[in-house]
Amino acid sequence: MILAALLLVTQAAAQDPRLERLDPDTRLAVVAVLDSARDVGLPVESIIQRALEGATKGASGARIVAAVRRLALDLGTARAALGNSASAPDLEAAVAALRAGATPEVLAHLRDVRRPPLTMALSVLADLVASGVPADSAAAAVLALAPKARDADLVEFRRAVERDIALGAPPGAATSVRLNAGALDAISNLGAPNGANNPPRRSRP
Amino acid sequence: MFEQDDETVERVIQHLRRPMAMDPGLDARVMREIARVPSPKRRARLLLPLLAVAAVLATVLIVARPWSWNRSSKTDVQQFVLVAPQAASVALVGDFNDWDPARSPMQTAHGVWATVVRLAPGRYRYAFLVNGVEWRADPSAPAAKDDEFGTPSSVVTVGGRGS
Repeated sequence: MILAALLLVTQAAAQDPRLERLDPDTRLAVVAVLDSARDVGLPVESIIQRALEGATKGASGARIVAAVRRLALDLGTARAALGNSASAPDLEAAVAALRAGATPEVLAHLRDVRRPPLTMALSVLADLVASGVPADSAAAAVLALAPKARDADLVEFRRAVERDIALGAPPGAATSVRLNAGALDAISNLGAPNGANNPPRRSRP
Repeated sequence: MFEQDDETVERVIQHLRRPMAMDPGLDARVMREIARVPSPKRRARLLLPLLAVAAVLATVLIVARPWSWNRSSKTDVQQFVLVAPQAASVALVGDFNDWDPARSPMQTAHGVWATVVRLAPGRYRYAFLVNGVEWRADPSAPAAKDDEFGTPSSVVTVGGRGS
């Protein structure tokens, strides 16, 4: 009886009702990926969301299955780099950073120099690359800022670089100039109360 | 003294040997009480469903990890805006609403479509669905580089520290 109850609960958990939006074959394959991910302790919500994204966008089953398999693999790589205690948001952001071109070593280095959460630092790295900044320049900039910068500082850095790029600056140059400007700013702020020069900003994507 | 004691003992023995009047309902009452006390087998039968319920609860906790449902108790209000004067409808869809266009329809004022969503810390992919058919990325947000489904998406990150 206990075994039957365990089986039912496991099946109920695996067959998330949201996945009913997938066709039966695709759902079966996605559930298999989810089961494998759960077995090794990976977070599955982002995998479910990727499958739902594919379904809503009308992607073929094969494309959806390929996407969720790739995501599960990348989550595994991210966890190997960040450690077993990494949170789901950190792992998901790490996947974006890996796909942007950051190496697992960069992720591990970031984990060593910045206390969790690492979500914003990893996201900024990925977003800089998406803006055209070379992956090694983006990684170097984020690693340089990571030990001291607040999340809001990292977002502001990314916006500044994006503005410069939009105005015609070469992405790599924009990154290094903004990084050096930030370093000068930090030096000039030595002695100021913590955060005194960084008033809270309203959230924007 | 010794003889007196013998007599006393004899009296006591006689007293104890007197037939005693038993309450005729005693046996029935005792048997009723015994029947109420669970036997080891009955105790096990009662315990089994409790063990099953405990096992199910433990499995739910292990498999579903309800503590991870809510990424964090700290959430951030995010405003999403798309300027689309020609659009008849715009929906915000993304990782935060199961990519369900019905969940976050946007309101318009003179062609400026907007909605507000409360998000827990994390990195989310999203896009705008215009008129139910056209996918658009958010021009004011970083692009999702790894778009595997052939339509543009954007990303929004909510930090957990000083964001």
